Amino acid sequence: MNALDVAEAAVAAAPTGDALARVIHERSLLLRFAANRPTQATAIDDVTVELAVVVDGHLGRAATNDTGSEALRACAGRALSAAEAAAATASSGEHPGFPAVQPARPHHGHDAETAALDPAVGGAALATTFETAERHELEAHGVWTVAEDEHAVATSAGGGTFESTTDALMKVICIAPSGRSGYASSMGVAASSLEPGPLAERAAAKALVPGDAAELPPGDYPVVMEPRAVGSLLELLGDTALNGLAYAEGRGALVDRLGQQVAAPAVNLADSPYFGSTLPRAFDAEGTAKRPLPLIQDGVARAVAHDLRSGALAGEASTGHALEPGGAADGPLPANLVLAGGGAASFDELCTPVERGVYVTRFWYENVVRPKETLITAVTRDGTFLIEDGRVTRPLRNLRLTDSVLGILSRVEDLSASQQLTSHGEFYDRRFAYGVVSPALRARSVRFTDAAG
Amino acid sequence: MAAAAARAEYADARFVSTQSERLSTRNGSVDQVDSYDSEGIGVRVRVGGSWGFAAARGTAKADAEAALERALAIAAAQPPSRGAALTVEEPATGSYSSPAERDPFGVTLEEKLAVLEEADAGLRTEPQVSLTLARFQAVRVHKLFASTEGALCEQVLTECGGGLSAIAVSGDETHVRSFPTLHGGHMEQAGYERFLALDLAGNAPRVSAEAAALLRAPNCPSGPTTLILSGEQLGVQLHESVGHAVELDRVLGWEASYAGTSFVRADALGSLRFGSEHVNVTADATHPGGLGSYRWDDEGVEGHTVPIVREGVLTGFLSSRETAAEVGLDRSGGCMRAEGFARQPIVRMTNVSLEPGDAGTLADLIADTESGLLIDTNRSWSIDDRRLNFQFEGEAGWEIENGELTRLVRNPSYGGVTPQFWAGCDAVCSSSEWRLHALLDCGKGEPGQMMHVSHGAAPARFRNVEVGVA
Repeated sequence: MNALDVAEAAVAAAPTGDALARVIHERSLLLRFAANRPTQATAIDDVTVELAVVVDGHLGRAATNDTGSEALRACAGRALSAAEAAAATASSGEHPGFPAVQPARPHHGHDAETAALDPAVGGAALATTFETAERHELEAHGVWTVAEDEHAVATSAGGGTFESTTDALMKVICIAPSGRSGYASSMGVAASSLEPGPLAERAAAKALVPGDAAELPPGDYPVVMEPRAVGSLLELLGDTALNGLAYAEGRGALVDRLGQQVAAPAVNLADSPYFGSTLPRAFDAEGTAKRPLPLIQDGVARAVAHDLRSGALAGEASTGHALEPGGAADGPLPANLVLAGGGAASFDELCTPVERGVYVTRFWYENVVRPKETLITAVTRDGTFLIEDGRVTRPLRNLRLTDSVLGILSRVEDLSASQQLTSHGEFYDRRFAYGVVSPALRARSVRFTDAAG
Repeated sequence: MAAAAARAEYADARFVSTQSERLSTRNGSVDQVDSYDSEGIGVRVRVGGSWGFAAARGTAKADAEAALERALAIAAAQPPSRGAALTVEEPATGSYSSPAERDPFGVTLEEKLAVLEEADAGLRTEPQVSLTLARFQAVRVHKLFASTEGALCEQVLTECGGGLSAIAVSGDETHVRSFPTLHGGHMEQAGYERFLALDLAGNAPRVSAEAAALLRAPNCPSGPTTLILSGEQLGVQLHESVGHAVELDRVLGWEASYAGTSFVRADALGSLRFGSEHVNVTADATHPGGLGSYRWDDEGVEGHTVPIVREGVLTGFLSSRETAAEVGLDRSGGCMRAEGFARQPIVRMTNVSLEPGDAGTLADLIADTESGLLIDTNRSWSIDDRRLNFQFEGEAGWEIENGELTRLVRNPSYGGVTPQFWAGCDAVCSSSEWRLHALLDCGKGEPGQMMHVSHGAAPARFRNVEVGVA
């Protein structure tokens, strides 16, 4: 049975009510390495069947990884009992239920060669990376990973939808004997796009930038951020500003600000599920078809992301951003963010107008401090440099950033023409690969509050 | 295991069955009634020093054999490794169940929802509180472990707990107060009795009133001061700046790809000054109720106690059979854990706790403090990839003047550098104030693994800490 067959069988097992089943079949392989040697290798073949049932506006959910008919009946029974227990309370049920699902629109998100999950391809990538690092007298750390996911949704209202996707990610951190490190990553639909040799060279080049690490006192500095650093900020913007549940509950950063200027005119941000370099996704966890959603246009806030529940609370339709059937406890999020590129031909060109500033490769331990202000904190990592008189001159000790994401976006002066798909590649729970497509950018000032590391 | 023994230097297999339940209310309405069951087998092999791990759902012999073949193929496909031989450990045999007086999965949904509804009603007592949340959670994990060294053991671990939060909103100000903790609530290895003992309904009105009061409170003043951390915030501080820093895989650089490394060096045992003489930290996998407690870890090493810091000096690491051997230790720290069957075990914290001191109660410690700040309940946290520079924000702070709590202040934040911060510790409250504090969202590893852990702590005082509003 493929994932859609299982989803339809699960819905059929629901004895009554308004039911939705989502099925994810993950096949993945992830090779980790550290100090030029393999350290861990994980292969997963698992299925998650999630059943959501609505009774009188009350939601009950159950999940299992057993696709046998008896297990599906038991899972459906638990979901129904949960919904009935909720409906028996004095509280009012407000869930709108699950409409019929339409078949998915085709996309380019599957690569048959990648779906083979060939460990020999990964082993060769590691060998190439180790050879590159050793040639530069560096240690290479990182991961190479590929996956194929089958994803299906069916509802008792009718219809079902299915897609099969692949994803591939490689990241390399090269560490010099001095402790200085450099990072580079590559992500896409196909493993053949990862190019481990050039990737390792890029990471090595950062670790080998000459000079002693300078230290900057806390303060506001002009900053050039690479795409992974920009991607981190945009993911946090998703949590704090673009989450439709937080918006509907009056906690979101865009409450009363839709239609207003919230970022520099150069900032154009959308959720674009079919964009060329994203990991395409045709529908969300509730089977709602995905389509492009402009979020910030020319710096003006236009929309937030909704699932069925948050949309009902806000009086709007779902935009196709449910993370779980019935809605995740923390609300919906955009999973295909794309920030439009600008006019700079290269990252170096972005540095040109900067007299004295900071070059950031990526951030680490990003966390929200005050969500309504989009205030976050994070530290720089694996490639922080001083920009002097328009060019990168020397390494810089890592810094702690504490600033508002919308504030930083309002200070954007220019963006690179080229964009890159990036991700932390964390893969918690059942694999759901996603990333942010973004250019590098230059911001007039960013607040750094401390030295780090 | 017989099939694996001839083809690998070492192999182990874990069958893991996980059952979980989450219930919650939101603004008085039932929000979540979720349950999740899974089971499967994870097979780990070591060939030529390289690891291969494969996981597959199901319990049939054919599933296990297929996972073994996949694990062997993956190990063989990688470049050769130079891994050290594993430490020699007694093969684990026997069975164990963690204590639970009342099975949380045997209690009706209706009864559990009624407790949450009562607590949620207690939160909706302040007009400026616009979002209220009450939560229940239970997890049961059943594990069978076998290895090519002859280990064969079984354990069942049951966790239960809950919590509540009130969020007050006015204009651009948003403030949250939680009990006992913001991050998913408090759990212990125990039964339903532990959830009831939290007395969520009894604490709800105070939590709501404090959330509303924060809207009217002034911002936390800035500058160096004397800081008292409540036990819960101290648990987070321990977790981030001590627990992660002494994980031996990080110390060896093996987590540089994701979680980062450590400022602690492998040769620093017995010489690194981690803090003042008041700082005594112990990693204990045997503490009753702790979420980092077990009879055996996920490579069959019996759970035990490891002194991590004694009188401010580093004395131990959190380790596995491989990492311990790598630095020449005789024994593993017994710290290998995996999230479910589909993840490879990695070095995780057991219950990493600050031993109680002799400063009496929290009231005694406040009375002994001329001027300073008390911060309660973690709201935001961040630390660099070497576990040195950190910045934490609490939900609420109170100024201390002449030995008394005075003004409530909002957005209290503090930062520092790990060894200097712990060097400033000059008092730890006594054992009467010592509690286990749960942390339910410790992320580590690739693919990512989320782990539950507890940290024991009594409130403690730190001198010359930079505080303010982030």
